Amino acid sequence: MARLVAKAVSKTYGATKALRRGDLEVEAGEVHVLIGSNGSGKSTLCKIVAGSVRPDSGELLLDGKPVTINDPQEAKTYGIGIFYQELSLAAHRTVAENILLSNLPGGVFVDRKQLVATASRYIALFDGVTGEGFSAGATVEALRPDQRQLVEIMKALSTEAPILIFDEPTSALDRAQVDRFFDILRRLKAEGRSIVFISHRMDEIFALGDRVTVIRDGETVATKRIDETDAAEVIRLMVGGESAGMETAARAPAANKAAAQTVLSVGNLSGVGFHNVSFDLAAGEILGLGGLHGQGQSAVLRALFGASPPSSGSVSLKGEPLDANSPRATIKRGVAYVSGDRRRDGVIAGRPILENVTPIHALKQRLALAAPSSLRDRAKPALEALRTKFAGFGHPISSLSGGNQQKIVIARWLIDRPDVLLLDDPTKGIDLSAKTDLFQLIRKLAAEGMAIVLYSSEDAELLGNADRILVFNGGGVTRELTGADRTAFNLYQAAYEAA
Amino acid sequence: MSAVEGTRKDAGFSPMAALKAPLMVALLLIVLLLALGEYLSPGFASAQQILRLLIVAALMGIVAAGQNLVILGGREGIDLSVGGVVSLAAIIAGNLMSGQDSGILLAVLGCLAAGALIGLINGIGVTLLRIPPLVMTLGMLGVLQGLLVVIRNGIPSGRAAPGLSGFVTQPLFLGLPGIIWLWIAIGLLMAFLLRRTILGYRIYAIGSNEQAAFMAGMPVKTTRILLFVLSGMFAAIAGICLLGYTGSSFANVGEQYMLPSIIAVVFGGTPLSGGKGGYTGTMAGAILLTVLQGILTTVNIDESGRQMVFGATLLLLMLFYGRGQALRT
Amino acid sequence: MSDIAIAPPKTAGHGLKRAIERFPFLPALLILVVLLVLNGLYQPRSVSLVGITGLVKTYLALMLLAVAQTYVVYAGDIDLSAGAIVSLVNVSIITAMDALGGGTSAVLLGLGLGLLVGLACGIVNGIVVAALRLQAIVATFATSIFFTGLALYVLPVAGTPAPTAFWRTYGGRILDIPFVMYAAVLLAVLLLVLARTQLTTRLLAVGDDQQAAYQSGLPVTRIRITGYALAGLFAALAAFCITGDTASGDPLVGGKMTLNSVAAVVLGGTALAGGFGTVTGSVIGALIIGLIGSLVFFVGTPSEWQNLVQGVAILVALMVGILVSRGARR
Repeated sequence: MARLVAKAVSKTYGATKALRRGDLEVEAGEVHVLIGSNGSGKSTLCKIVAGSVRPDSGELLLDGKPVTINDPQEAKTYGIGIFYQELSLAAHRTVAENILLSNLPGGVFVDRKQLVATASRYIALFDGVTGEGFSAGATVEALRPDQRQLVEIMKALSTEAPILIFDEPTSALDRAQVDRFFDILRRLKAEGRSIVFISHRMDEIFALGDRVTVIRDGETVATKRIDETDAAEVIRLMVGGESAGMETAARAPAANKAAAQTVLSVGNLSGVGFHNVSFDLAAGEILGLGGLHGQGQSAVLRALFGASPPSSGSVSLKGEPLDANSPRATIKRGVAYVSGDRRRDGVIAGRPILENVTPIHALKQRLALAAPSSLRDRAKPALEALRTKFAGFGHPISSLSGGNQQKIVIARWLIDRPDVLLLDDPTKGIDLSAKTDLFQLIRKLAAEGMAIVLYSSEDAELLGNADRILVFNGGGVTRELTGADRTAFNLYQAAYEAA
Repeated sequence: MSAVEGTRKDAGFSPMAALKAPLMVALLLIVLLLALGEYLSPGFASAQQILRLLIVAALMGIVAAGQNLVILGGREGIDLSVGGVVSLAAIIAGNLMSGQDSGILLAVLGCLAAGALIGLINGIGVTLLRIPPLVMTLGMLGVLQGLLVVIRNGIPSGRAAPGLSGFVTQPLFLGLPGIIWLWIAIGLLMAFLLRRTILGYRIYAIGSNEQAAFMAGMPVKTTRILLFVLSGMFAAIAGICLLGYTGSSFANVGEQYMLPSIIAVVFGGTPLSGGKGGYTGTMAGAILLTVLQGILTTVNIDESGRQMVFGATLLLLMLFYGRGQALRT
Repeated sequence: MSDIAIAPPKTAGHGLKRAIERFPFLPALLILVVLLVLNGLYQPRSVSLVGITGLVKTYLALMLLAVAQTYVVYAGDIDLSAGAIVSLVNVSIITAMDALGGGTSAVLLGLGLGLLVGLACGIVNGIVVAALRLQAIVATFATSIFFTGLALYVLPVAGTPAPTAFWRTYGGRILDIPFVMYAAVLLAVLLLVLARTQLTTRLLAVGDDQQAAYQSGLPVTRIRITGYALAGLFAALAAFCITGDTASGDPLVGGKMTLNSVAAVVLGGTALAGGFGTVTGSVIGALIIGLIGSLVFFVGTPSEWQNLVQGVAILVALMVGILVSRGARR
């Protein structure tokens, strides 16, 4: 009998169906991988099992008995521990306090000795790979991202729960930390614990998993034994029938590129997270930034946009120096920036679509009055170009799906054409059809002469759209791929090369 | 869903949703309270009494306009100094006009400048020095209270000019006193500002998602400073009008507006977290609070009972309005 | 000290940053020392035992109320009814002691009743804010009106005197040491003990990130209610001190103290957003407010200017404290 069963679990947030039909069956003594693209509903399913999200419908069974889990506290008593992707740490508390937060030793008073002793047992599991400054008494605030992730792992482990859920636990960890963590998981599995593991990295999945459940668009589509499947099949299941729509053929380089005028020129640019980055960008060119996630690509784009000004180096736009002091300044000069983190950087949640699509237009045209009808007329072509689906300009943006929200955010830059378009992983967490619409438009804009820098965490998007690819590693450009060199193999190789 | 639609099409009218809208709740409650008041004390809902209540509501409503803007701008926006500004403006205005109509213009300009200056300091403290608004405006309140003592001791307290008193208390046009017209004008102005100007869009954007507003090139800090300046100016206007209402200023006359102005905003449907709501609701909120207080002063109960009922009613009403999100979603 | 460190962190460096992280009240302490020195310069007697005793006697109530406020602020909440609770407890114990004849047992019963009243008020606040999920600023303002109404009901006009035994003890000496000094020491011990409780850690964890605390399995609502209850108890203690100091009942006595308690908390380096701070800092903050008041007096500020100078000084202290601790922690 399966230890944990989730049957037809669903959850809707406003207009967004986060999970349509989540099914999951986990046995004792297995590592069960849960996989699906961003926004497919994996995290929601995990949170429902862990009691922090209330399901709309569906059933949970533990050892065959139906249970209702009302809150995270109750989930713990049922023997379910979880690692939250967004972490659940109290920044000002110490590592030890965080590890044992819901279960501080002692009665009315905290038994500090016991606290440190118990926490140290979990810290010791990662002895040698925790990095500098990591101790039971260190405050979480002072830790690096990978170290925080370790604390969250230790916190999950400290529940000693028979069922452990890890929602993307390795995204910030280095190789040695991941190896150690996997050793621990294998040991726990040998003890008979059930482990649910979410990751996007195929190598991890095949190194660790026993079975894999694939979720697509909020629905569980299949569960396979790892030794009876391969990466290709898993990917096919993840993307479903729509995968055919994904552009894979490399784009032909812009025809008269040699003659094209240089629009953006970046020389030895350095800042937080990147150093000595140089490149020239011509009108009509799509420059790809590649490499593993978080190697400085976003940092460069944000610096060029003025969101976090660079510390040294030069930038010139159409021959004139560009002082990237603030987004306001660069926007006025004709720079546009689309963030992949639309909830943080893009969407003005709760406000109508009209207010979300017009701010750049208002800034560039120095508008003081907002005449809705004329604003609507200006915004319409931009939204049409992206095939944006929405019911009316007066509806709140949050009533739209993620892909359409991102289209609104992108459309705000297109009402008045920028000279340079910086795309910072713009398709993160949006559906395939929206991605297709977006890349069609990007190619069209380039053909019309716009200079575009595209960073994508998906290699296929870079290979399919960029004229050139700068591969980032450790904050610097380690390789430039042009022409026929733009292959998946070269990109992969350059990304994994030691910096 | 069609691909792209040009005209605004609101979602279909739903009576339940309308009932939940803060503005409707406030209006309904106002009517109910007026009926209750009339039942408890015949004459309460007479035209004359309602007009008197409206004048009092206008004073609070004008203070709440600035408070509303600061709260809309988000990031824990709040202005506790408005109480001090109201008192200060009442005193300055009294001293500057000292009972003469000829001094009104100077008094108005002086008070507006003072209110703007105080707001500017608040705004700079909040944005450039990044002091939390509650702390900054609380500290400013202390300064203003001190300043009041200095001014009252130094200069003989002035009186309202007859023109000002008439403006506030005597019918000006269509039987309504000037202050009501002023309040209506402020209401229209605020609605225009928030719905038909880019600045209005910007205020909501900053209150809703400051980071996104920054990334869209909006001048976040300047806008927030402006909100505090406007709050100071609105409080100053209320202070002048208050002088007209009472005839002469007395100690800390404005303190009664400090927290109620916030409650009027909340009752009007603008949550303290900012980014949504508007001034129309706040106007209703101000009237609601005033009518409630009016009933409590009309009925024959002790001050203690009055306060208990007032406090309990406020809590009850708050249950209607934007309760926080549940931990489990 | 609220934040008892577990073990010295292994890494050195950023000495000041670490120190302030551990002891957020350091900037406040510095301001306090400077104020003490200035007070001593202008009025040497003010730093004598008599002077300090007087300061503590007057400001013990504010210190306690600031402590009360701190436990609420720890969790990211605020209590604008703190002063009203002080008033209610003040009139409750005065009336009870008066009705019971004013003897020793009457005083003790009265104090017990006061603690219960404070506790009840705190629990009401907690339920309103945490369980009903009303916005703390406006909700506790509403409860403050309600509590003030209750206070007016218990004692409509100020004036009933406190039993002689009560205020004599508060203002007197035991073994030649002023009673308030014992009270201050007792407070310090109490705060030290409380700092080691589960509750303090849990309140701070809730204030740090409510959602994270909930997801970690903490009973967030219950913790917040307990924070308000604790604040109610400390507000009652503050009321005892006020009553000892003024020796009479006044249904409006605490009203003015609420905002000062918030200012004291902020002066003490506690973040209003929650999750970070110490009760020690709040005690220091209350003393700073007191010392600014006396310094303004000692330097010979004309009486009508005293409030203004005091207000400006407090505003500047608030700003400096926030800027210094932020600058050092970065």
